[in-house]
Amino acid sequence: MAQYREKSLYESFPALRYVLYAITGLLLSVLHVVFVRLISVQGIAPDLLLVLTVWIALSEGQFIALYAGFICGLLFDIVSADVLGTNALAKTVAGFTAGYFFRQADIPKSLGGIRLLLAVGLSSFIHNLAYFFFYVRPTEMSFTGFFLQYGIATTLYTVVVALFPMLIYRSTSMGRA
Amino acid sequence: MYRLIELIVRFKEYVSLCALIVICFSLMSWSHSGQLGGFRAVIVGGIGWMQSAFAWIPNPVSIKSENAALRELNLQLSEERASIRQALIENAALRKMLEFKKKSAYEVISADIVGKTTTEVRNFVTMNKGTADSIQEGMPVITDAGLVGVIIGASSNFSIAQLLINRDSRIAAKILRSRIDGIVAWEGEQDLVMKNIPKSYDVKVGDEVITSEYSNKYPSNIRIGWVSKIIDEPTTLFRRILVRPSANFSTLEQVYIAKIIPDPERLQLEREIEKRLRERRRLR
Repeated sequence: MAQYREKSLYESFPALRYVLYAITGLLLSVLHVVFVRLISVQGIAPDLLLVLTVWIALSEGQFIALYAGFICGLLFDIVSADVLGTNALAKTVAGFTAGYFFRQADIPKSLGGIRLLLAVGLSSFIHNLAYFFFYVRPTEMSFTGFFLQYGIATTLYTVVVALFPMLIYRSTSMGRA
Repeated sequence: MYRLIELIVRFKEYVSLCALIVICFSLMSWSHSGQLGGFRAVIVGGIGWMQSAFAWIPNPVSIKSENAALRELNLQLSEERASIRQALIENAALRKMLEFKKKSAYEVISADIVGKTTTEVRNFVTMNKGTADSIQEGMPVITDAGLVGVIIGASSNFSIAQLLINRDSRIAAKILRSRIDGIVAWEGEQDLVMKNIPKSYDVKVGDEVITSEYSNKYPSNIRIGWVSKIIDEPTTLFRRILVRPSANFSTLEQVYIAKIIPDPERLQLEREIEKRLRERRRLR
């Protein structure tokens, strides 16, 4: 006889996930503006909203990740006084890239494993390429120098920060198992 | 039609990506770079309120650099103190002789920094004075050390200033000693850059750089910084002059906002000319 298991609220209303993503996005954007100065090193800060975008990409797939990246980027543009659309574009492309790492049958393994870090690394790299390209375009600054100085460092720092949700997810999913 | 819909559904990721990219480009061209307006002014108020609520949390990295800067400043001040004492006596005598009328060129409002975004390339500060204190977009922000930036957005109680170390900074500047004019900009390094200065011009390391009277954004004669390095460009007749900003952006706490608004007619004319030039360049 199959064992009866009560469904959680989360399982009963799958749309609740999107509400949770939205709340997390809002919280992370506020956190970024107010507290990120405390963890910035030599002016380099991790991109928390990018980690969320990649997380959504690995949980929901490429199509949802595209829109998640766009909304996260737009949110970031608004709260960070940046030119509207620059982060939105970079994060849309990053969400699209991260979508290639989505494996329907292997979601827990992706979120709690090295795939999350790889996806964050590659997406962050492409995000920074796109962002700094548009950032230096109206100026006479050297794109290569600027990207090497800020882009690579930000990518590495974001990957390090992505370790935390990965480890937390792994420990909680192992606890459940 | 059916086939078209089928095609769109089949390649919905690519179609969405293209559509979103188009929206992003439209947003970029729609929002004027370096200016915040409308609903974003409301966000400035909200963010400013939150940043001021958590401003008491110390940042260990900035405390360390602040300590180092204060020690350096202390040394400079003790040296300057002796020379100032002598200068004061001379000044009093000279003022009396010339019947110099002391007057401030412009009114200033003091403000506290409640939030700072100096990460990566987003260099902004949030201040606790806004439109209620008659702060407006375009007003320059200064300290006793020199020029800091310009106001780009204000809500009723808070305002955001773009620091000099920002992509959009272009300052008409002058080397105080030799009166050489140029444009000072930021290129991502610690120092600002003054470019296209002919090699034959008289510039020395340590020269003071001030704002020029040609500036449409900033009042003239405000210190920007000092010449820290002169680099001769090998294949041209010009040299790059690195300017170390006199204001220490990592230790900013109190600033003054000069109540000066750029002449709108002049700004309009300059924007129009810039637009026309850009169009002409595009047509070529």
